[in-house]
Amino acid sequence: MQLQKQMEAKDVAGINGCPTCAFEITGDGYMEGEVVTCEGCSAELEVVGLKPLRFAEAPEVEEDWGE
Amino acid sequence: MKKIDLIYTRLRTEERMILEALRKRDCAVELHQDADLVLPLDAGRWSGGNVVLMRSMSLTRSRYLAAILEVKGARVVNSSRAITTCGDKILTTLALAAQGIPMPWSFVGFEEEACLAEIERRGYPVVTKPAVGSWGRMVARIDGRSAAEGLLQMRFDMGSAQDHVALVQQYIDKPGYDLRVYVLGRAAGGIRRRSEHWVTNTARGAVPERYEVPESHAKLAERAAAAVGADIAAVDLLETRGGEILVNEVNHCVEFARSIESTRIPLPELIADYAAGVHP
Repeated sequence: MQLQKQMEAKDVAGINGCPTCAFEITGDGYMEGEVVTCEGCSAELEVVGLKPLRFAEAPEVEEDWGE
Repeated sequence: MKKIDLIYTRLRTEERMILEALRKRDCAVELHQDADLVLPLDAGRWSGGNVVLMRSMSLTRSRYLAAILEVKGARVVNSSRAITTCGDKILTTLALAAQGIPMPWSFVGFEEEACLAEIERRGYPVVTKPAVGSWGRMVARIDGRSAAEGLLQMRFDMGSAQDHVALVQQYIDKPGYDLRVYVLGRAAGGIRRRSEHWVTNTARGAVPERYEVPESHAKLAERAAAAVGADIAAVDLLETRGGEILVNEVNHCVEFARSIESTRIPLPELIADYAAGVHP
């Protein structure tokens, strides 16, 4: 039931899954807030949960971001 | 153990490397995502540590957060003054001008016809940039009157009142690269950014390579960082075909993910050393 709720949440595909292409992402050492690139579709993803590991699409780059 | 608060927007390669370097120095690091911070506007003490390393990618968030935390007694690296100045190319230029630092000439105007007349008087090509902008976005070279008319019309017809300012700068015919000197109190190394395009941001595809910073460039970069009040800065230098060195911009939130592999300048370690060093 918990997993089902997570999978239904907006922009969150589920445990270890890329929300864009469902590519399974494995590994440890992730940190919440970390941005990673999906090897399946090159989408930028943000780690939004660690136990279980969950990803969401990284926020769009804002106009005032960057160097 | 030194406590350091690290504020970030995204934990990018840079922030992860800095975090690791701080932890190697036995610093107790507390991470704060800028979007999560809600702070009362009063002089009540900040519940975090004394030193805040500001790594927010957002100019709006970083300058307000730095200003608030300073009132609350924190030592923020970089300071709100440095962020505010570096985040606005007009204020940066003025801070540099006040210290007599060599730069391309530039001017500011607030109306299309007046700006066009001044460009025509000075001659083409020129460069126009948004006063607030990053990663080389919306930077344009104007080669003639038609382009000037089009770009100035866009500048003054689009956006809101705060966008209706034109910053026009001398175009420098660079020898295929620009230079960047990292300053952490003192100059600590530099990169050359090569590109066939006249815009030489690595975010726009320029290729970084290491360069040995001559003493004269180091001193100039240190003066520029001091002029804007930055503890940590990436100072962009332009070299003219005649060998003159001019300061172009000063960046307050140094990015290095695209360059560290090729240049091997240990910026995460240097930043961590600096932040740990300002700890009381």
